Amino acid sequence: MAAIHHPLGNARRGLPIPATNARLNLWLALAIGLAAVSALLPVVQNSLATSRGFDLQSSQRQEVQINGQIGVLESDVASLTSLARIERRAREIGLVPVDDPVYVTVTEPGPAPAKLPSEYLPRATAKKASPAPWWKPLVNWLP
Amino acid sequence: MAHYQAQGTRRVWLPAAAFGLFALAICGRLVQLQVIEHGRYAAEAQKELLGDDVIYARRGSILDRNGGVLATSVDTWDIYVNPRAWKDDAVAQKAAQDLSGFLKLDSQQIRTTVKDAGQADARVQQDLDYEKGLALIKKGIPGVVALANTARITPEGDVGASVVGFIGTDNDGLAGIEAAYNEALKGVPGRAVYERDTTGDPIPYGQFRTTEPKRGEDVVLTIDRYLQQLAEQRLADAISEHRAKGGSIIVIDPMSGEILALATSPGLKYSTLQADLSKTDDPDALAILRNRAVTDLYEPGSVMKIITASAAIDAGVVTPDTTYFDNGEVYIEGKVRLTNWDNGSYGLQTMTGVLQNSINTGAVFMEQRLGTKKFQDYLIKFGFAKPTGVDLQGEATGIFRRPEDDGYSPVDVATQSFGQSISVTPLQMLQAVGAAINGGNVITPHLVKAHIKPDGTRNEIAPQVVGQAISTTTSDTIRHMLGQVISQDPDGWGRNPAKYTAGGKSGTANVPVWGSYNDETQIASFIGFAPLENPKILVLVKLDQNADLMTGTQAAGPIFAHLADDALRYLGVPPEKDNMAVSR
Repeated sequence: MAAIHHPLGNARRGLPIPATNARLNLWLALAIGLAAVSALLPVVQNSLATSRGFDLQSSQRQEVQINGQIGVLESDVASLTSLARIERRAREIGLVPVDDPVYVTVTEPGPAPAKLPSEYLPRATAKKASPAPWWKPLVNWLP
Repeated sequence: MAHYQAQGTRRVWLPAAAFGLFALAICGRLVQLQVIEHGRYAAEAQKELLGDDVIYARRGSILDRNGGVLATSVDTWDIYVNPRAWKDDAVAQKAAQDLSGFLKLDSQQIRTTVKDAGQADARVQQDLDYEKGLALIKKGIPGVVALANTARITPEGDVGASVVGFIGTDNDGLAGIEAAYNEALKGVPGRAVYERDTTGDPIPYGQFRTTEPKRGEDVVLTIDRYLQQLAEQRLADAISEHRAKGGSIIVIDPMSGEILALATSPGLKYSTLQADLSKTDDPDALAILRNRAVTDLYEPGSVMKIITASAAIDAGVVTPDTTYFDNGEVYIEGKVRLTNWDNGSYGLQTMTGVLQNSINTGAVFMEQRLGTKKFQDYLIKFGFAKPTGVDLQGEATGIFRRPEDDGYSPVDVATQSFGQSISVTPLQMLQAVGAAINGGNVITPHLVKAHIKPDGTRNEIAPQVVGQAISTTTSDTIRHMLGQVISQDPDGWGRNPAKYTAGGKSGTANVPVWGSYNDETQIASFIGFAPLENPKILVLVKLDQNADLMTGTQAAGPIFAHLADDALRYLGVPPEKDNMAVSR
């Protein structure tokens, strides 16, 4: 009878359960994290850029609108200050065209200007003496 | 062990070669499309993808000398419809109805406009009010595009229209200051480039790039809007009263050449502009675009005696008190007889008397004392026969005949001394008389006082003195001689202002028709200044072909007198007559 090589015989094979003492590979985790961040970064960047672009366009539109409204207001002011409108409004509130003005020639000199309290007068500042030129001491050394 | 190698047969090689050639052709075509003609196809793709529009810059305002607005721009919208978005009948009908509510146009009319435009965007309204345009954009009607534009408004109505001018639909100036200063006023247009969808509408949040438009400069005129209005009113009244065909009233500051008011008739009016321009069958319709004060020539008549006297006194050949005997006529080269305007004779006269009585023979006397060359040299010095350089387009040069010209006769220079055989523009005459009374300085008359850049920087335009025609002493003398012309009338009568001292001279010139003069058509004018010692205003009043045939003294003189009183009072110049002095 041929002996059959059966090294394990009936011995039970152990289940391939990972060893409970296996440790997490920190470098691997770091690499995975880095890869995840790298993947997310362009998405975030793109999103931010789009959002900023939208804000910018919105602000530009607002600026254009505000400029347009300023223009409308300016033209309103121009219309309200036209000669014809001023004259019409003046008549509405009862004003009448002016007669010849009377010019009065006064030979007496006018009153002296009112004196301001000293606290309102400009503070007198001492004039800073200009420094002597660099060659002056040299001249002084001369006999 | 035996090794077998496949033998190529025709059945294998032929298809392989065919496929190979086909692949090569495809590769070649790809190289052509993607490498050789990359630029062209990329540009075409961009063109299809991107739309672009011009963004008009806001045109600068035109202000009077005190900042009053004569013309300004307001933002508006031009409304376009993209016909590709209106292919569907139901969509088009609904959109046209919505649009008609904003534009106050019939919806059918809008659809017709869009259909007529074919494939191109159809402009259904120009210059829609800004606020209405914003509401329209908010409504978001399919295919409707609002493009920013600007419209010109003139708060003073027709006042100063012939000076300010107008612009075309492309925002370029076509007449007046609008045309002369178009480059400064219009600014630099911008450009908008945007991604669009298949219907041509901008894609929301798509790529959008703009070149910002740069606003135009504001232009500050020397014109005073109150004086301009006054001059226009007085001119209209005078034309009506004297049944004239037209005329001009121009007020300038003789010391600086600044034009304070420039009224001409016929002239441009915004209120009738559309109707005037649509008269295509009337050859004279476009004549309203001319500013006659700079484009039209006339013979000044006796006003020219101011220049003749200035030249003669400056050259030292006469003084104001030099006398001569007027027998009412003078013969040129013993053949041609020249007479006075009234065919009268005034006997012994001084040179001041020549101006007071407007004696033609006296003017010839002064010219003959000067000699032809010297007299005409003075005409050149005073700025005749050359443009003044005023900042308006189409200025006429003027002309007078000189000895070297064909057909010259000594009669020409003799008659030039009293304002015939010489043609001038009203502004040339003002420039010359201005030089005669302001100390001798020939100053370019001008309409623009300053430019204001969009950042608020103001650049003043200094008066330009182009020459010295006569000495200061001569100028003083002439001023007083002209004062004696005016003071012949009592204060407040005729050509003498009621409140101010003044000087001036009238002119009445018959209009030359085919080489001769017709007594039935004349130009009556008066040129005067006030106050006498320190002139603030120099005024030319000119009436063309007044049917009542009143002379310059009778028709134009009183207009000057009243205008001088009113204008100087407005300018705050204390009156010199009836002035109350109170001493304490």
